[in-house]
Amino acid sequence: MSESILEINDLHVSIADKPELQIVRGANLNIRAGEVHALMGPNGSGKSTLANAIAGSPAYTVDSGQILFQGQDVTEMPADQRACLGMFLSFQYPTAIPGVTMVNFLREALKARRGEEVPAREFLVELRETLKTLKMDESFARRYVNDGFSGGEKKRAEILQLGILKPTLAILDETDSGLDVDALRTVSEGINALRTPEIGILIITHYERILNYITPDFVHILVNGQVVKSGDFSLAKEIESNGYDPILAELGIAEEVMTS
Amino acid sequence: MSERAVTVPAYSEAAVIEAAVAREEPDWLLARRTEAARAFDASPMPTTQLRPWKYTDVSDLILEAHLPATPAISIESLAPQGVFVGSISEAAVNTDMTSNVREHLGSVVLATEGRFQAANTANWTEGIYVHVPRGMSSAEPVIATIDASAVSAGSAIYPRVLIDAGVGSEITVVLRFQSSDAPLVVSNVIEMIADADSKIRVLIDDRWGTETREFTTARSRIGRGADVDVASLVIGGRIIKQTVEALIEGEGANSTIRGVALGDSDQHFDFVTLQDHIGPRSTSNVEIKSALAGNSRSIYYGITRVEVSAKGSQANQANRNLLLSGGAKADSDPVLEILTSDVIRCGHAATVGPVDKEALFYLQSRGLSRRAALQLLVTGFFQSVIEDIPGSGFAEEIEGFVIAKLADAEL
Ligand SMILES: Nc1ncnc2c1ncn2[C@@H]1O[C@H](COP(=O)(O)OP(=O)(O)OP(=O)(O)O)[C@@H](O)[C@H]1O
Ligand SMILES: [Mg+2]
Repeated sequence: MSESILEINDLHVSIADKPELQIVRGANLNIRAGEVHALMGPNGSGKSTLANAIAGSPAYTVDSGQILFQGQDVTEMPADQRACLGMFLSFQYPTAIPGVTMVNFLREALKARRGEEVPAREFLVELRETLKTLKMDESFARRYVNDGFSGGEKKRAEILQLGILKPTLAILDETDSGLDVDALRTVSEGINALRTPEIGILIITHYERILNYITPDFVHILVNGQVVKSGDFSLAKEIESNGYDPILAELGIAEEVMTS
Repeated sequence: MSERAVTVPAYSEAAVIEAAVAREEPDWLLARRTEAARAFDASPMPTTQLRPWKYTDVSDLILEAHLPATPAISIESLAPQGVFVGSISEAAVNTDMTSNVREHLGSVVLATEGRFQAANTANWTEGIYVHVPRGMSSAEPVIATIDASAVSAGSAIYPRVLIDAGVGSEITVVLRFQSSDAPLVVSNVIEMIADADSKIRVLIDDRWGTETREFTTARSRIGRGADVDVASLVIGGRIIKQTVEALIEGEGANSTIRGVALGDSDQHFDFVTLQDHIGPRSTSNVEIKSALAGNSRSIYYGITRVEVSAKGSQANQANRNLLLSGGAKADSDPVLEILTSDVIRCGHAATVGPVDKEALFYLQSRGLSRRAALQLLVTGFFQSVIEDIPGSGFAEEIEGFVIAKLADAEL
């Protein structure tokens, strides 16, 4: 069996500002090297919360449970250290940072990831090639991070970072949302280009579309902060055609409406 | 920070005149020195009762305890023939320029305004004079360095800057101030006169040592269709008090006042601005930003005044403060005084707070340490001023200072 990339054990996560609001309530997940997992689930079921907790966002508190990356317990580790180890989250809603150019940001990020200065020329070659793969104009690099980017541009910019940083674990939170048909293909090809037997991918999505390009080995359904069902690609297809209701009914689960 | 009460005789009227005579100054200038020495005697030190001095207590600063000294001046200029860029002390006695200096010096900032202005007028020995005749311009910025590194510890310097731009002319002046880490008091007076349709850009580039206390009055008088842009970059120094004012007199004139300050340890910054709209359809924009680490603090007090005569004007005023540590502090008070009902737009905004948490997490999630992320965020925060700094390679140099200072700052 191949090496474990991500292991989530009975994870409970609440909102840091609202400790009484627990969103993830006993989630389990196990991703091994070379595997692609898809995480689906109704709006508000806790997918992004789980993803942010894995990335180490201080906006969320892990109440109990464990996050293991390549066997190492990172539950308490600051976000930057997790990233340096090779964890990466493509955000559902990337933050705009006016004044900070993509190129300066990427250079700093790559320097942090490698733990050493990156020669300017090498960096620029890398940047140019990755931009090209993603069919992004070079002028993109001179723009301020996500500032005034269209929805699709933001998603491409996330994948640009993924391409430069080459993480071992890539979590893609609705990277497919907001992309037009051609962009989805380009971005999917970009992601596929990074796939190696060493890395693990978790695709959070509402649609089967992206999974047609990046075929998942496993599909999980998150409801009320728990993985209630796992299966293969056919599970995603089932949801695409019938929605979540039949699964919820079969499992006897009522979807909670969370109030904040 | 209490001062030794030993005062030096240099500030008396007799001593001021004796020094001026020794410099072979012309009679008109001697008369101004006399007036200024008397004004100095008559003007009390500002107290915290005065609104612009509310948070900067100078009651224990005794100017007379600081021997006036002369900083070294060096000037890099590629200005074409006809444009004068040089030492103001030379210009004041130079036959070509004397009448210009005489006409404009003290026409915007008066010796009788207050103690710092009086002290400067009585005691200035060096500074910069820039005279741009009608229609002329310099493509490259003039860089004037005022360097107090060699003056003895505890001195005071009184740099004097006068820029007069003729009709339709254009000039950019970088004033670079430097000192050692020894105690130093600085009282600057910067006067800018922009005739119709001219453009003056001034960058105040403070590279002070750790124990410099600066008190600056910079004021422009802006004619019809003219444009004055004053930007200030403050990284060094212990106490920095800059009063930057624009008398926007001409129809359609524009004033831009910007400033960025990066503080650490117990640095104290105090910015006062005035956009005085007098001419109709005049425009102005003020943007002062500070990023504060350690126990540093920043104060902003600014007035946008739109006079009855300034119909159809537009003004904008913003002060933004980033608190990078628990000990940092900022006070912000933008004031609008609108005396006419006929204004296009008057905006003012003030913010004080920590860095955007989401932006910080975004950067950290890509591997940047908190410090590296803050270095990037602060440089980004300052971009609105840094991005159009005149001169090549200069913006990168300033960014380098910001990054280096934050590498050791208490965050
Ligand atoms: N910072 C927060 N403050 C308050 N409520 C929050 C916060 N973050 C998440 N929530 C709530 O937690 C629940 C789960 O949100 P989350 O973003 O994880 O859902 P999701 O599964 O990603 O949904 P979607 O499919 O719409 O992206 C929602 O009800 C949301 O409103
Ligand atoms: Mg989500």
